[in-house]
Formats: sequence, C-alpha cells, structure tokens
Amino acid sequence: MSSGSPGPPAVRGGMLRRVLSIAANTFRETVRNKILYVILAFALFVIGLTWFLADLSMGELTRIIADVGLTSIHLFGVTIAVFLGITLVSQEVDRKTIYLILSKPVPRWEFVAGKAAGLSSTLLLTTALMAATLFVVHFLYGGKAEPGILIASAGIYLELVLLVCIATLFSTFTTSTLSAMFTLALFLIGHLSTHLVRFGGQSKSAAVRAVSSGLFYLLPNLEVFNLKNGVVHGEARSLEALAGMVGYFACYGGAVLLLACLLFERKDFK
Amino acid sequence: MTPGGAIIEVENLRKSYATDFWKKRTRVLDDVSFSVGENEVVGFLGANGAGKTTTIKIINRLAFPDSGTVRLFGEDGVARFASRRRIGFMPEQPYFYEYLTGMEFLGLCGRLNGMGGRETRRRAVAMMERVGLAAAGGMAIRKYSKGMMQRLGLAQALLHDPELVVLDEPMSGLDPMGRMDVRAIISELKSAGKTVFFSTHIISDVEALCDRVILLDRGRKLAEGTVAGLVGNEVQFIELVFSSPPGGEAGPDMPPCIRFSRAADDLVVRVRNVDDANLWIAKMGGRGSKLRSMTQVKPKLEEIYVERLSGTAGGEGRDAS
Repeated sequence: MSSGSPGPPAVRGGMLRRVLSIAANTFRETVRNKILYVILAFALFVIGLTWFLADLSMGELTRIIADVGLTSIHLFGVTIAVFLGITLVSQEVDRKTIYLILSKPVPRWEFVAGKAAGLSSTLLLTTALMAATLFVVHFLYGGKAEPGILIASAGIYLELVLLVCIATLFSTFTTSTLSAMFTLALFLIGHLSTHLVRFGGQSKSAAVRAVSSGLFYLLPNLEVFNLKNGVVHGEARSLEALAGMVGYFACYGGAVLLLACLLFERKDFK
Repeated sequence: MTPGGAIIEVENLRKSYATDFWKKRTRVLDDVSFSVGENEVVGFLGANGAGKTTTIKIINRLAFPDSGTVRLFGEDGVARFASRRRIGFMPEQPYFYEYLTGMEFLGLCGRLNGMGGRETRRRAVAMMERVGLAAAGGMAIRKYSKGMMQRLGLAQALLHDPELVVLDEPMSGLDPMGRMDVRAIISELKSAGKTVFFSTHIISDVEALCDRVILLDRGRKLAEGTVAGLVGNEVQFIELVFSSPPGGEAGPDMPPCIRFSRAADDLVVRVRNVDDANLWIAKMGGRGSKLRSMTQVKPKLEEIYVERLSGTAGGEGRDAS
C-alpha cells in the first residue's frame, strides 16, 4: 500500500489552492445544474424580447431596451443567486459530501469561502452573458455602444454576490426553505431600507429614530448597487460613488461571510 | 499502554445531542477513553447506536465533544489541522459529488490534501487499481454501485499515503469478495507500518484483523484489550469424538460430561476438563471405541461480546440533561 515513504507526500500549495479547488468544484457543480440553463435561457429570451417591446412602445426606444433589459438581468440574476445560494452549504451537509472534505486538512472557513467563490464565478459568467446580450441588442437597435449597461450590470453582479453571502450565511444553520425565505426577505428589505430610515427620521420619538437608523446600518442597503436609473436617464455616477459602492460591498459582504464562517466553525454534523 | 507511542489518544469523551429543541439532550458518549498505538490495527466494536460513528466524527473534527480531549500524533486533534494530512478517513457509506468521475474526485482529494498534480495522478491510478476500480475511473460516480462507492471511499482515504487510517464500517455494503479485498488492504496497511482504526459490528472481521479491540455499548466503553486477552486462556470445554463402540451404545456408568451426542457413526462428548477427558478415553477404549479427535474449545469473541452486553442490559438509560 505504501509508496515506501515514511510519512505523507510533500504538501503543495496552501490556503489559496484549497479555496480555489473548492470554488472550482462548486463552479463545476452549478454549471452542470439544469435549472441554471432554464433560468438563463428564459433571461436571454426576455432580453431579446426587449427589441420587440421597444417597437411596440412610444417614447425613447433605447431607454426602454436598457430599462427592461437591466431589470431582467437583475431579477433573473437574483433568482439564480438565491436558488443556488440557499443549497450551497446545506446540500453538502444533507448529502454528507462534506464529511470527505472537512476531514481533510481544510479549515471550515476555507470551505465556506470556496463555496461562495464558486457560485460567484457562476454568477459572473451568467451576468456577463446576459449583459453582453443586452449590450448587443441595445447597440443593434440604437446604433451606438452604451457602456453604462456594462457598468450597471457590474452593480447588479455585486448585489448578487452579496445575496450569495447572505444565502450562504443562512445555509450554514437552517434549512433550504427557510434560507430562501430569509434571503428573499432581505432582498426586498434591502431595496426599501432607505425608505425605512426616511420614515424613521420623520418620527418625533428619539427611540424610533435610533431603531430605524440602527436597522438601516444592520440590514443591507441594496439600492447602493442600483445604477440602472443612471443608464436609463443618462445620469452617470461619479467615480467616488462607484468606489463607495465597491467599498460597501466589500465591508458588508465580508462581514456576512465572516459571520457565516464563525457559525459554521463549531457546527456538529450528526 | 500502547506499543510504539499513541497515535490516537481519547480521554473522557462526553457527547450529547439535542434531538429536538424541547426535548432533553440524548447522551451518546459517556466518559469514553482509549488509545491506539503506532502500527496497531484496532477494532471499534459495538452495536448500532453504541456511539462508534460519533467518536469517529469527533476524531475527524466533524463533531465536537461536550468535554474530553482527542489527541492525534500528540497534538490536540480538535483544534489543529497539521495532523489531518497524516490521516485517511472513510465515513460510513461515503457520499460523493455524483457529477464527478472517480478520477476527478481523487484529483480534488489530492489537491485538498496538498499533493502535487503528478503525484495525485500517480497515486490515484494506483489506488483505483488497488481497490478494483481501474476500469471505472472515467465513469461518473452517479453510475457507481454501492459497493463501488465503498471502494472509492477507501481509495480516497489511502490516496495521500496516510500514517493513520480511520474507517467507519468499511465492510458495509460490500459483497464477500469486496470484504475479502478490504481485509487484505487492512492487512497490507499493517505490514506497511500504518495504523488502522476501524469500527464494525462484524465480530469475525475483528477476530481476523485486529491487534486490539475496544467494545462500546450505549456510549460507554465496556472493555479494551487484545482479542486473546478478552477471550482469555480459559478452556470452555473439551470435545472428544469416538468411533461407535461394538453394539453402538456407550453403556452405563460413564464419566461426567456436559453433552453427549451422536454424529453419523461417531459419538461426540463434551467434558469440562482434562481429567474428565482422560476418564472418557479410558472408559471408551475399554469398550473397543477409538478416539478420533480431541479439541480444546475456547470462547469466541462473539460470546464474550454478548456476555458483556448482557451484563449491562437493563442498566442506566442514555438520556442526560
């Protein structure tokens, strides 16, 4: 049985290699998921359909194509992120495939990070495909390239990755159904949280104002990633605003993923 | 004390699980301590629900004890990762990524174990061949039978040439040929200087393979020792086989015996000790009967196991607050 050596073979690579191996395996798993192709095909069909919608409508046609197209990328992206994200870790636990991974020299946080990175790679591919399709449709109809579509799609992508982090967090300690409910609830709240702080600010009670303000910082503010209006109405965002968006994504996403790793660290597998 | 230094040291392990939020916790391990020495093959024997798998999960950091310690190669096995490269683990009824082929899965295992690409390929081919899956390496795992999955589980456990191999019910789901193969692999690991710790409820496997055995029942260690040590040197009985005497019957005034029976043309007599055996040999010889065989019968591990379990049956319940 032995190769003749007194100990195990020399160790190659380190943390990055293990995380990338888990990410690559997750990418392979998700791109082989038939549901992904069904959602993606439907998304591309709807984006293609904006051409005909624009023909039927009055007003500025290229704006309508950008508006409907980016909304499609957003909604179909969220569908993919949530429905693949909620099973990201829980499915490994349910199917017990995790036993063979975590019994190897793989820290648990590397497993969580690798899973999230793998699904984020799949989302990068699908978002890029949808954005490229919309870009081409817009260009063919309007006759000029609109780089704002790609920038707005990048904003959508960051939001999707943030949702993957949130879904991963729930996936580490609850069932897929509850994970889906919690993640979708946070998605909706995340797009309304600016209203929450505005309404809270109008209250005469200092306690209500403090609570609404606290919730605003605790809950995700997904409107930060919404660059669609800028493209549709031709209002470009400043570089500072884009840097703020990336910074918010890094801080909030990092914190959520860190919490997921901490919760997963001492989880018992029965 | 274990020979050659302890590879696994488990001390006062306690573990309980909450089966339901509102219910009391169920204690599955209660003050379990044992050690496994270098180059030993140790069997972890117990009925279903005895706590074998929970102990193995704690050793492999898949579960955490309420209290107690696990040390692997002298390190804190729960906290540290360094020792994990030196362990090969096969869970009970291993599950795999079914969209991968057998060789792809071993490739992933190699990378996670910190092996180089060339080394992984070389070892993966060798291990697939060793476990009898050489022809199935390119086949998707979803097409594997239960026995093939068990073999693949063994291949991934041995891929990185670990010093310690921990196997949870390695014979489960295997046909007789598969069981023979696994037995041969465990013997080869022993010959190669490896340490093997495996759980089972098949006593004949323990008797055939193990240097030592640990008996577990309802979360408690019942006994630990060598198979010979547990069985003891005591002779259970002596079995004598005589040819039938002329006339067919043994006759009156025979010496004491435990059992007297007929088997074809022979008379089979079980006696307690050598003195009684000698009395029987003399008596039957005087009646023209020949002694065909005489066998000392020692108790089997299975009988010891059942006896120990019976001794604890009806004892304390397992529930703990």
